[in-house]
Amino acid sequence: MTSQPFRSGLESAFLENREKLLNFLRARGAGDAAEDIVQEVWVKISSSRPGPVASPLSYLYRTADLLMIDRYRSRRQAEKRDRDWSDAHSGHPPAEPSAEQRVAAAQEAGMILRMLEGLGPRVATVFRRHRIDGAAQKDIARDLGVSLSTVESDLRGAYRAISEWKETRDEA
Amino acid sequence: MTIDETIRQQALDWAVRAGDPQFEEWEAFTLWLEADPAHGEAYDAVAAAVADASGLVSGVGAANDDDLAATQTNTARIARRSWIGGALAASLALVGGFTLWQANSRDLYQIEVAPGAARTVALDAGSHIDLAGDTTIQLDRDDPRYARLEKGQALFTIRHDEQRPFRLKVGEDTLVDVGTVFDVRHRGAQLSVAVSEGAVQFNPKDQNQRISPGQILRKNGQDGRITLEAISPEQVGEWHEGRLTFSAASLEQVASDLTSSTGIAFAAAPGSSPGSVSGSLRLDPIRKDPRSLAVLLDLDVRREGDGWIIGER
Repeated sequence: MTSQPFRSGLESAFLENREKLLNFLRARGAGDAAEDIVQEVWVKISSSRPGPVASPLSYLYRTADLLMIDRYRSRRQAEKRDRDWSDAHSGHPPAEPSAEQRVAAAQEAGMILRMLEGLGPRVATVFRRHRIDGAAQKDIARDLGVSLSTVESDLRGAYRAISEWKETRDEA
Repeated sequence: MTIDETIRQQALDWAVRAGDPQFEEWEAFTLWLEADPAHGEAYDAVAAAVADASGLVSGVGAANDDDLAATQTNTARIARRSWIGGALAASLALVGGFTLWQANSRDLYQIEVAPGAARTVALDAGSHIDLAGDTTIQLDRDDPRYARLEKGQALFTIRHDEQRPFRLKVGEDTLVDVGTVFDVRHRGAQLSVAVSEGAVQFNPKDQNQRISPGQILRKNGQDGRITLEAISPEQVGEWHEGRLTFSAASLEQVASDLTSSTGIAFAAAPGSSPGSVSGSLRLDPIRKDPRSLAVLLDLDVRREGDGWIIGER
């Protein structure tokens, strides 16, 4: 089945809300790349066909937002590689992480978890449930028997600590 | 790069809200972003840092037991663990997740100590292990908080670190220190753990038995039964000072300990009753003349070939 006689709900939502997405991307700081990224959103939804989506417009915004975050992350990594140029043996990063890099990654993961644990009894749990398992904040609140604002506040604390960790790490 | 604190707080708030799968207020979010280009930059910094951290954390998996590591590392990433007991699992994973990840990538090396010899190895600042004769231990080049006692006896002096407890594997059993000087003996199928300072948790995932100073845990190799008895703290690891104490020990155990400590071959005479020997002795006289054992422990000692046979009188 290579072509479909009708557009999916997601594709219709895209075509109807293209301008809104462009506005969002420009506000997000995409600049001249906004058109390209909105095109990437289209490619993503038409190639992955995620099935029925409860809220198509939110799904499109979220896809656009994640593409922007990915672009930011790759730009930061490229900058870091450039800075580390003099230390590097070659210009191309290895495809597979070395044993040394894997150990370093595990150590960093352990450090992050200990840091989150230090913020309070629930924080690491909430972070994992939300970020790794992909659970909605409302559901986490229900499972833990706390209010939604408590979950939000736990996550804000976690995100702040993680941002600060990232800043000091990148300066090092 | 410094970010204005007010903007940072708003960015954190939006990152939390927009990150939720049920978030719907994208137009309000767009308005905030449009108000100042610094908003988008601050949001990017937070969102990217959180994405990086999430990637690292999901890479270490959510299980929490060394023993599960070999089988579960690959599935931990795929399996969305159900939320049954999740709070507990997650809190254990803070320490365990890290250990889990490492278990598959341990860079172990082995130290063997010959009978009659002894050796001290330093682990990290403030921690070392005294190894008795006839002992084999494996250590991790990358992780000074892990060891595996293959056989023999060792006296552990471990600097306690709340964040990174020291773990010792002995066969299928796991010992976790709670700030500690403890002695572990693993000969044949028998295991004993004696604590002189701090405390040790025996098999935290199973019996979770705490061993306090002045206690010795013995595990029977046949039926796996564990018992806890009193031991004088000075007696813990006294082999290191050149002394051995036996309390209702079998002749086999006495012979085995003497052989390990001195390098001289001792064997038990057949048909001796179990748990018959009690007493304390210094090793120096035995090394000079094994026959002195007869007086020290009231035993029959006779030479046979290169070794010595000990029996009841």
